[in-house]
Amino acid sequence: MYLIKNGRIHIGDGTILDSCDILTKGKKIEKIGREIVCPEAQVIDASGCEVFPGFIDPHCSIGAMGIPSRHLDNQESTGLFTPEMNVKYAMDPDEVNAQEFYKSGITAVGLAPGNGNIMGGQIAVVKTAPQKMSERLVKEKAALKCSVTSAVKNTYGSKNQMPKTRMGIFWSFQEMLRKARTVKIEDREERQEIVSEVFDKMTMPVFCAAETPAEIQGLLHMMKEEKVQASIVDGFGFGDALEEMKRQKTGLILGNVNSCSQIAKYGIDLEKINELVKNGNRVAFTNTCGGFSEGREVFLWSAIEVYRAGVEAEEVVRMMTEHPAEMLGLGDRIGTLKEGKDADISIFTGHPVTTYAAKVKHSIINGEVLY
Amino acid sequence: MRQTVIKGGTLYTMKDGQDVFQGEILIEDGKIKKVMERIPEEMISDDARIMDASGLCVMPGLIDAHSHIGMFDFNSETSVDEANEMTDPVTLSIDARYGVNPKAREFKVAYEHGITTMLLTPGSGNVFCGLPFAMKTYGDNAFDMSIKAPCAVKIALGGNPKNTYGDRDQLPMTRMGVAKVLWDTFRKAKTYMEDQENGKNPPYNADMEALCLALKGEIPCKIHCTQYDMLTAIEVAKAFGVRFSLEHAWGATDYIDEIVESGCDVCYGPIATYRCVGERRKIDVEAVKMLDDRGVNVAIITDSPILSEESLYHHIGEAVREGVSQERAMRMVTINPARILGVEERIGTLEEGKDADIILVKGKLGLDTNAKVQCTMIDGNIVYCCL
Repeated sequence: MYLIKNGRIHIGDGTILDSCDILTKGKKIEKIGREIVCPEAQVIDASGCEVFPGFIDPHCSIGAMGIPSRHLDNQESTGLFTPEMNVKYAMDPDEVNAQEFYKSGITAVGLAPGNGNIMGGQIAVVKTAPQKMSERLVKEKAALKCSVTSAVKNTYGSKNQMPKTRMGIFWSFQEMLRKARTVKIEDREERQEIVSEVFDKMTMPVFCAAETPAEIQGLLHMMKEEKVQASIVDGFGFGDALEEMKRQKTGLILGNVNSCSQIAKYGIDLEKINELVKNGNRVAFTNTCGGFSEGREVFLWSAIEVYRAGVEAEEVVRMMTEHPAEMLGLGDRIGTLKEGKDADISIFTGHPVTTYAAKVKHSIINGEVLY
Repeated sequence: MRQTVIKGGTLYTMKDGQDVFQGEILIEDGKIKKVMERIPEEMISDDARIMDASGLCVMPGLIDAHSHIGMFDFNSETSVDEANEMTDPVTLSIDARYGVNPKAREFKVAYEHGITTMLLTPGSGNVFCGLPFAMKTYGDNAFDMSIKAPCAVKIALGGNPKNTYGDRDQLPMTRMGVAKVLWDTFRKAKTYMEDQENGKNPPYNADMEALCLALKGEIPCKIHCTQYDMLTAIEVAKAFGVRFSLEHAWGATDYIDEIVESGCDVCYGPIATYRCVGERRKIDVEAVKMLDDRGVNVAIITDSPILSEESLYHHIGEAVREGVSQERAMRMVTINPARILGVEERIGTLEEGKDADIILVKGKLGLDTNAKVQCTMIDGNIVYCCL
């Protein structure tokens, strides 16, 4: 049991509680309130500190890449549609450990297939602490990873296979959906069954990589009549598809904007994220750009870029906590500091969205103090 | 050119031993004419432009000592690599000025974020990569924007050249091979230089001519190296008595003593790469504090556009997060890199006689995440302003 005393607590849903305490018991949050007394708990003094729910990166390739093997473990480039691939089997705990994600306050990541296939496989969520695998895996089959980016053309078109163009990508995507829905049940392949369950029974949400305005607009057009909850990964050109994103309540998992100068390349106006916020769209941050992860720092940097552009700090905090948890269907377990939820807590010396002089003082994952 | 006076601001001159103070700057003909608490009225002409910097920090323009903007050109649909002439492990004398697209969008981002000078360098695909140069970030023509060429000899160790030539079954295929190319080329240049000095008139060799500049101490070597390769760099540089900087320097915390003892400069960054075995084993920005405390001249670099130019703020910020004071961190993107580029007589501090490359900043860069450059002046011209 730990008793975190006197912190400034950011619940993760936009509310802040000043000089408040959190009591953890086992792996869970037992109680949140003022002046909690619990003699048997070990006290962590959080006076002057900012306390956050562990941050969540819902789309992360590092941890499933299997570096330095010759073939990346999250890129099954043998078929355009491999929705049956489960990233759980590609997980490399050492690769996650080496990143020390918790030093940037990140306590859970959604390990994701790459961008090379239109449907790459199923995302699995893991905690970032070096703990037993059984305790780290939060959820498998958390979302179906799709992609309509040029990575698909580079993977298949370069071999003179469909798709060689964006038209080919969307044609293939739509044909897959049509066939999965019209094939006789007894003839249905495993992948068609998964597609039909995802798109018609909403067994999991869709995370689809799309970078340019044309890719995003094409995706939104194709998804117009679909009911499945969709989030766009990378989404650098989102500003040119705002109205449709608002209409469909599409999520945005903003890619690593500092990688290869994406802001300059797309002329991104991050202030427009405010429109999505007002409309109730979910927004989150991924350490990937084009399907490839960079280190833990870029997650905070993207958050800072959005804050710099004029989005309120506590809204940005929600994008690091509550929103990604909900996107992954884990809103009941992680993402906010509430009684009964996982004790994933990052204690910073300052507010990491507003000041660089904010360092993680303690990181707690599954109720265990890492440092 | 009209005079300009910047009044009311808090001056961060970055001059050694000078504290922050409230003061004024007089600018004339693109140069800083006077920096003092109050410019006497008689020095200011009637038509002078007066800029009110109340509530703002006034600083020298920022300097990024390692960039490839407009060389790795992401401005076309397919990205262009004009940075790596990967046809021979030694392309020592190719000139980066010919590789830059001065109209690349990232330059605009740079001066809008207060970065007024950069070192543009060939990439790391070869062991001897070419000749970097220093340029201002605003202009239409790289040759006009250039303020010093060449600034250094760019050398690269490790994975980049090894993979370039290893894939072709050519030397160097290993880090040992890289070291051999390094030793052989330096020895050859030394002989070339001695032959010249002894009147033997060796046949002209452009590569050897360029490396002789380093051997004579006229320009330093910029050596791309990380982790253990830093020791290789130090050993070879020492053997030939060249001035040098370690570029990138991931893992420097393991070699602090060796770095201090060698007397070299360090250009640290970019950070935020994912960690994995080999060159990316350790990304330790805390090294800049340890090196700075021990008196090493340290610059913080972005490697832009590989990481965005605006990420320079994040890079400074991460150094601050690791305990570097904001004021020391700012030196790592102003006067320290100016010295590494060999242009400290012209830029890097707010001092009389230097180029009027000045930025007005709201908030504290490297500390406040929303600190914002309000105005950028290069050679006395306002190139960006949102005041």
